[in-house]
Amino acid sequence: MERSRALGVLAALALLGGVTIALIPDDSKDPDLKPMATVTVTGLIGSEKRTFFENADVKAELAKQGLVVQVDSTGSWTMREQAKSNPKLDFAFPSSSAPAQDIQRNWGLKDSPPVPFYSPLVIVTRESVAKVLRQSGMAAVDPAGVWTFQMDAYLAALESGRKWEDLPAAQGNATLSGRLLVTTTDPESSSSGALYLALLSYVANNHQVVSDDAGVAKVRDVLYKATSLQGAQKSSSDEPFRDFEAGVGRPLVFGYESQVATLPLQGQSGEDKVVVMYPDTTVFSDHTMVARTPNGQKLASVLRDDDALHTLEAKFGFRTADRPTAFAEQTKDHLPKLAPDLKSANVRQADVPSLDYLTKLTKAAKGAQG
Amino acid sequence: MSGLTRGRRARRGGLAVALAALLAAATACTSSPPSPPLPPTPTTAGAGALRVLAGSELQDVQPVLEEAAKATGVSVEFTWTGSLDGADTVSSGRADGRFDAVWFPSNQYLRLDPTGRTKVLSQTPVMVSPVAVGVRSSVLGGLGWGDGSKVTWAQIGDAAAAGKLAYGMADPTRSNSGFSALVAVASAFSGAGAALTEADVQKATPQLKQFFTGQKLTSGSSGWLAQAYTRAEPGKVGALVNYESVLLSMNRTLPADQQLTVVRPVDGVVSADYPLSLLASAQPNRKDAFQKLSAYLLTPDAQKRLSERTLRRPVTAGVAPAAGLPADGRKELPFPGTRAVADGLLASYQNDLRRPSRTVYVLDTSGSMAGQRIGALKAALAKLTGSDDTRGARRFRNREQVTLISFASSVKWSRTHLVPASGSGPGPEAELKAIDADVQSLAADGGTALYDSLEQAYRAIEQQQAAAGDDRFTSIVLMTDGESNEGAAEADFRKFHDGLPAGEKSIPVFPIKFGEAAVGQLQGLADMSGGKLFDGGGSLDGVFEEIRGYQ
Repeated sequence: MERSRALGVLAALALLGGVTIALIPDDSKDPDLKPMATVTVTGLIGSEKRTFFENADVKAELAKQGLVVQVDSTGSWTMREQAKSNPKLDFAFPSSSAPAQDIQRNWGLKDSPPVPFYSPLVIVTRESVAKVLRQSGMAAVDPAGVWTFQMDAYLAALESGRKWEDLPAAQGNATLSGRLLVTTTDPESSSSGALYLALLSYVANNHQVVSDDAGVAKVRDVLYKATSLQGAQKSSSDEPFRDFEAGVGRPLVFGYESQVATLPLQGQSGEDKVVVMYPDTTVFSDHTMVARTPNGQKLASVLRDDDALHTLEAKFGFRTADRPTAFAEQTKDHLPKLAPDLKSANVRQADVPSLDYLTKLTKAAKGAQG
Repeated sequence: MSGLTRGRRARRGGLAVALAALLAAATACTSSPPSPPLPPTPTTAGAGALRVLAGSELQDVQPVLEEAAKATGVSVEFTWTGSLDGADTVSSGRADGRFDAVWFPSNQYLRLDPTGRTKVLSQTPVMVSPVAVGVRSSVLGGLGWGDGSKVTWAQIGDAAAAGKLAYGMADPTRSNSGFSALVAVASAFSGAGAALTEADVQKATPQLKQFFTGQKLTSGSSGWLAQAYTRAEPGKVGALVNYESVLLSMNRTLPADQQLTVVRPVDGVVSADYPLSLLASAQPNRKDAFQKLSAYLLTPDAQKRLSERTLRRPVTAGVAPAAGLPADGRKELPFPGTRAVADGLLASYQNDLRRPSRTVYVLDTSGSMAGQRIGALKAALAKLTGSDDTRGARRFRNREQVTLISFASSVKWSRTHLVPASGSGPGPEAELKAIDADVQSLAADGGTALYDSLEQAYRAIEQQQAAAGDDRFTSIVLMTDGESNEGAAEADFRKFHDGLPAGEKSIPVFPIKFGEAAVGQLQGLADMSGGKLFDGGGSLDGVFEEIRGYQ
């Protein structure tokens, strides 16, 4: 996808709707202290962006732009309901375009919403598990230390009912038993869960985005398996990661690269290191800013255009289209190892189905019949 | 409202330590002020105060919340309840406007309910503890399980079936720890390797029945369970199913011969991750308070203190778990993905898998009960005979033996019913109707010969046991609205109780205080028998239902 061009269009659209914030006349004697009218901007965000908005440097940079941002975090799909019922919101900032489209529609907005930053979806695991998968032909590591997870092999394992016990390399690892499954959030409430279905459906549909009912029928069974075998799923992407941190034994956790990028280095020298695996075909989470009010629009353009914020965004693990090198610079010494450049790591991007088809795929995954 | 108690505010918690807090949980998890009554609770929350409906297990976090209040200005006003009752409160909308947030060991059951899930706006896991089996060290040696680090659920089931392991476990329809254990053991026995289905539960049924022959204690709350373990005769109860954190915390105060070795079965566990959850109905200023509090609780400092104080595992990267928490991992067994499977598993536990119960109700039908009171009593008991109860939380269970004793100046009548087992024809409905008919025939007149009538209950149990030669969960519920004014006196009863054989002496009596009941007498009976006093003053329905967790 030609991301930068798409973003250019979005930027132009956003500028048309741009707003100016009045400056209070400078009555201070100190030229460095120019007080600005600060406005409070209220909105909903996906939980994966909470630490970003709570960060003191981010708050300070936004304050320089005259913005105080107040957010509630929620699963990106639950956000659709919340956005409907709360008339006081300035913006909603889900982590993918599908729920953003829905909120747009609901709020009666026409312009394409901007995507200030994005993040590929990855699988978080431990080194011991990554090695078992490599020995079983389901994962690989390149000379730079970037791991990839083979989606076609995983799909085959899902379809054939493969268990960890079936892998000779898994013998003796008591935490590896039962069905070989990636753990995700609930696709009905969280966009990382929905993006997993987008990814799996793309791979199962011969690496084509599902865009008709025949495609839905083709992938229905494997989506249902991948979902129902997990049992209860968490409602937002923050939860499985925190569980993983606490040692809860789910070996493969699907989530945003941005979340891993912010895990501190401590504990990495311990027995079993955290490893990030990039699905060799993966989906991107487009953090999409739906602004309802002028103040919301102001926040959107600041997040997209402000250079200092680009650096902070990269620091929080988000890849910015405007300055792609920011992420590589910020994460070059990061452990677990992250891919500085997705192309050179041979990570291909799967397109995300339209909202209508993503909704159909979600229903299929939850067991609804044709 | 059933199952809710206005608790102490967080700032009182500094007094609580380890087992003290744990035992407090036992009394706080009632539908009524425990006895002795708590000091008056502030009824208005301060400007920043967050009203939180919480699982009673979480009383041990109060010291950290005091620190949070100092650091963030957000204080918390807790109301305590059981996890599944709490989920019902949220799902039904009864929490809307009354609470800003909920905090239970797990939201998994709540989230299976389509309405329940829309009630929660956001949730953040704060700490983690797997449900484990604490085995008395002397028992562990006898089982040949080494240091307990390699034990499977099948080994635990075999030991239970062979009569070598007797354990206590909270009622899964009341308590998340019991439910988690039930899910774990069903998953392990079914060999599902993935989330349970109804067919998996069927497949695991014979092994599950064996496993539950070892369950000798049941309880509506994990706090009371801990208390019951410490007061059980040595050798009678060798293990406790509970959160790893509760078991390790108990060890801080248990005498050497009662110390527990925490066994996390190697074939998998179900963990609680204690999500602090903002209700969608909360007002904006409460949302701010919630964000401040949850951000504070996830800071490395707060996480470290939470782990050290409560022995749960931190969820923030880079924070080391408290000393004594084992580092080797365990597979997490999936929680059921649908309400139908979850409720089916619970109903099957109650009606088929667990040891059946022998339940005796000693009901005061003296003259003072006339009018509204006897009406309330009939209505409360009638609810236990209804079939509208998908997870088996209320109604008399299949295979349960129920005896109703109506008394005033003497025992008026005593009737016993046996609810048939599943699959037998006719089904349980006919027997439940017969129980209800007895309930509706209750009539108020006469005095109150409380102790004489209670002695009759023990005789009835004795006869039933002798006739059936069985081994059931046995308990007595005593409901009265006055004090004993005829027949045997308290001292006479104490003598009678002292003379009972050990098996009968340990039958818990659950007195329900109603009307002008003499609290001292009733508390005395609860203490003497190892039972627990309940207050029927608020909602008699709620209390009768809550006691089901102990029967």
